[in-house]
Amino acid sequence: MNWPHSKSPLGGAFEEPEHDGMHRLGPMQRISIPRRRFRDEDVVDYVIVGVGSAGGVLLQRLARAGFDVVGFEAGPFWDTERDWVSDEAGSHNLYWNDLRIIGGKDPLALGSNNSGKGVGGGSVHWAAFTPRFHPSDFEVYTRDGVGADWPIDYEDIEPYYELLEQEMPVAGPAWYPWGKPHGHPYAPHPMGAVGDALITGCTRLGIGVSAGGPVAILSASRGDRPHCIYRGFCIQACKVGAKASTLITHVPDALKHGAEIRDTSMVSRIEIGKDGRATGVHYFDAEGREHFQRARCVIVSGYAIETPRLLLNSACPGHERGLANSSGTLGKYLMAQAGNVILGRFEELIRMYKAPPAHALTEEFYETDPTRDFARGFAIQTVGPLPIAFAKQMMAAKGQWGWGLRRSMMDYNHWAAFGLLGEILPWADNTVELATGANEKDRFGLPVARVSFNLHENDKRLIEFGKNKTMDVMRAAGAVEVVQEQRFAHLVGAARMGKSPHDSVCDKFGRTWDVDNLFVMDGSVMPTQGSANPGLTIQSLAARTADYLISNHSAIQSGAKRSLEEPGIRKTLSPPGTFRSGIPHLR
Amino acid sequence: MNSLALFDTSPKALVKFVPPPFGGLVRTALDHVRHGRFQRSLSLMVAATSAVSALEVGYEHYRGSYSNPVMYTPVVLSGALAVASFAAVFSRRAAQTWMRWLSWITLLDGVVGFGFHIRGIRRKPGGWRMPVTNLVMGPPLFAPLLFGTSAYLGVLASYLQREEDSETGSYVLDALAVGRELTGRDDWRNDIRVGRFQKHFCIVVAAYTVCVGAESWYSHYKNNFAYRVQWSPILLTPLLSGAALGSLKSERVANTLLPAASALAMVDGVVGTYFHVRGILRKPGGRTKPLYNTLYGPPIFAPMLFAAAGMLGMMAYLVRRERSR
Ligand SMILES: Cc1cc2nc3c(=O)[nH]c(=O)nc-3n(C[C@H](O)[C@H](O)[C@H](O)COP(=O)(O)OP(=O)(O)OC[C@H]3O[C@@H](n4cnc5c(N)ncnc54)[C@H](O)[C@@H]3O)c2cc1C
Ligand code: SF4
Repeated sequence: MNWPHSKSPLGGAFEEPEHDGMHRLGPMQRISIPRRRFRDEDVVDYVIVGVGSAGGVLLQRLARAGFDVVGFEAGPFWDTERDWVSDEAGSHNLYWNDLRIIGGKDPLALGSNNSGKGVGGGSVHWAAFTPRFHPSDFEVYTRDGVGADWPIDYEDIEPYYELLEQEMPVAGPAWYPWGKPHGHPYAPHPMGAVGDALITGCTRLGIGVSAGGPVAILSASRGDRPHCIYRGFCIQACKVGAKASTLITHVPDALKHGAEIRDTSMVSRIEIGKDGRATGVHYFDAEGREHFQRARCVIVSGYAIETPRLLLNSACPGHERGLANSSGTLGKYLMAQAGNVILGRFEELIRMYKAPPAHALTEEFYETDPTRDFARGFAIQTVGPLPIAFAKQMMAAKGQWGWGLRRSMMDYNHWAAFGLLGEILPWADNTVELATGANEKDRFGLPVARVSFNLHENDKRLIEFGKNKTMDVMRAAGAVEVVQEQRFAHLVGAARMGKSPHDSVCDKFGRTWDVDNLFVMDGSVMPTQGSANPGLTIQSLAARTADYLISNHSAIQSGAKRSLEEPGIRKTLSPPGTFRSGIPHLR
Repeated sequence: MNSLALFDTSPKALVKFVPPPFGGLVRTALDHVRHGRFQRSLSLMVAATSAVSALEVGYEHYRGSYSNPVMYTPVVLSGALAVASFAAVFSRRAAQTWMRWLSWITLLDGVVGFGFHIRGIRRKPGGWRMPVTNLVMGPPLFAPLLFGTSAYLGVLASYLQREEDSETGSYVLDALAVGRELTGRDDWRNDIRVGRFQKHFCIVVAAYTVCVGAESWYSHYKNNFAYRVQWSPILLTPLLSGAALGSLKSERVANTLLPAASALAMVDGVVGTYFHVRGILRKPGGRTKPLYNTLYGPPIFAPMLFAAAGMLGMMAYLVRRERSR
């Protein structure tokens, strides 16, 4: 031992994971990935564009039901032990960082921290907050005369909420009082100091608050997934494997049942045959070569920006304005949630990183309150920015830079952060279009998306009120200094579902009105977004559509008339060991 | 023996000092305990302690999300034992059947659970190579054994005589001989029947105290003994277990040190409960977050385990020593 002069680390270098041909998903899960099984000439039953939150669930269920399915994913198939690090800067490649153009009066910051790229999509970097939508979210127009109604109601999706909560599984309180009250399958998590601050602030103001969840992070080990170790890298993809993502929950089961995932394969266009039905998808492989995969049915699950972009890019004779756009609503009614971050300095140590960013929230202000001067509402949640995000927030909130910023940075451990999550209504002028500029093309020569965003009167009032309320809570918790940054979170909408082909892109199961065998199924089908994080709802909708596709399979494949009845829930499609596990549900 | 009555600290002698209005009552109670005729009251105690155990293990395992189905067994068993032993208060049959068998099964479950907790600690990163960390962070090692206490008392109670047996006149006779005749056996069951099990009980008290002491040591270690009072159960542990072990050899110790140490432990348990409740109320949200704060605050029933050690010690002091065969 020549330590201390040796340059090798004390105790030797860390071992490289062995090359055994296995693919690692978290420290305990190893799977083998079958390589390319279907040929381009094969006609597969289903092609899914995007293996993200919705795509992962669809892939798993359709594979389990015995169909030939191929999932196309523009990003890589992560080997979590090799590709992921517990480091804020080192996790930048999780996001869709390709060019996107922004516009409008209140442009959204896009690119990093916005949508995922790679198997698992956004569920890889989400914070995993999993509140359900409230029953009122499904009839906003009927109740409040603003926004839109959904073509379904809460009861239609409720059984899927219950199912997905067990499949992820969700940890949370045994009694969750808001919306339609329900329980959670796993026990709540112990609270970090940010959560303690939220609880203290809320209780001092007499506001009800939920402790320890709901969040799709394991509070107890299960199978080949270890429980959370509380060091706050959830948005950096959780190398531990405690946080649910379709990459580690649903994709392994899909592969086991014969699904294929073609990673680093960017779908460029959906092909429409002479009979007006989709015949397959064109895609670029990792080397940039173009291919065509034939399919009997195409499902687009590419996120609220890439889904409309792909449909618009697929314009063809008969669909000059873009696929599924006879109503002209494709790309319109894009929504983001108000995501202001309220930061407070405390005399005592907070250490935001010592807990998952998502672990406490209040939905006390969720519903429309006639005494306020705006419709709909908001939630207040814990967030836990790591130092780089914190620096950006301090820069935006206090205009700090240079030495001042360094001083704030050194004070990091004393700050707590709450996130406002406010409902912004769907407006026709918030859009995703194709960029027209000559330089506004991606590396395959495809026009990129141009995203315009404007706040309207109701939204502005809601943000103002919600921001002030959140700051009140922060002060009540004992913060000596409170600042805030305006932000937006969670893009949904832009390919909304509806009751009529005249004002929506798809029906209540995501089938586009214009093309019989083309489905849209991801966050973009949402007509309104509530002030709940959308992930659980996206995955639940996907599970419901999978049930529908299975029930109506032959009609969809042949183009015959199909029923619009609720398909009935198939609990046998859950990944192994997930259904009926955890603490029995409170009804 | 009775030459120096002033120095006689046996329960019998001390009872004389109880003031008149209670004197008769206490004397009867003592008589019952010393002759093993307290099945009904002990059953009632078993019912209460198993109900508390069910609650405690219920929420502790909730914290672990019942991730292994076996985690339901102690909840179900101690719930069932609570019901059975409550029935035993009213029925001799229930005492000798349901309570007895459920107690044995629950005791077994405690031992099995001990195994699972050992495995749980071993499975943590580093396993037994990091004993302190994993003892502190893993499943509480001795909890399943402590959980068996009420079951152990249930077994004991099922072999006792009932209070009303004194009226049958049997106590005038040599109860031992009667037992021998009744059961055709002359073993530990008969000793229990007539309230002669002090030494046996002292061993249990000592073992139990060491387990609770260890538990409180590593639980208090979790917050670094931030309050000095957190040391009290750790300091009292050697005192009480030592007294119990000393009682095996010397009747003198059993009559002096044992009750004194036991009383201290009981007081400490009550004081500890106060601090634990205060700790829960001081958590963010206080009484508006009862379930959550009970889950993650200081374990509310834990100091009562220490009080129970004192109570067991007191009982050991009250019963009679085994007859010399
Ligand atoms: C920092 C952060 C925190 C968040 N926290 C939460 C939270 O706590 N709770 C919550 O509910 N939600 C949260 N979200 C939002 C959530 O991640 C998204 O709403 C959700 O993942 C969207 O699901 P999706 O199926 O619509 O799209 P995605 O999951 O994004 O999946 C789309 C996939 O399609 C792929 N793709 C797109 N176009 C193509 C193409 N042409 N060809 C091939 N593949 C393509 C993409 O690479 C991607 O993998 C968070 C988001 C961010 C950014
Ligand atoms: S805090 Fe928990 S869920 Fe988040 S990254 Fe760490 S282990 Fe994963």
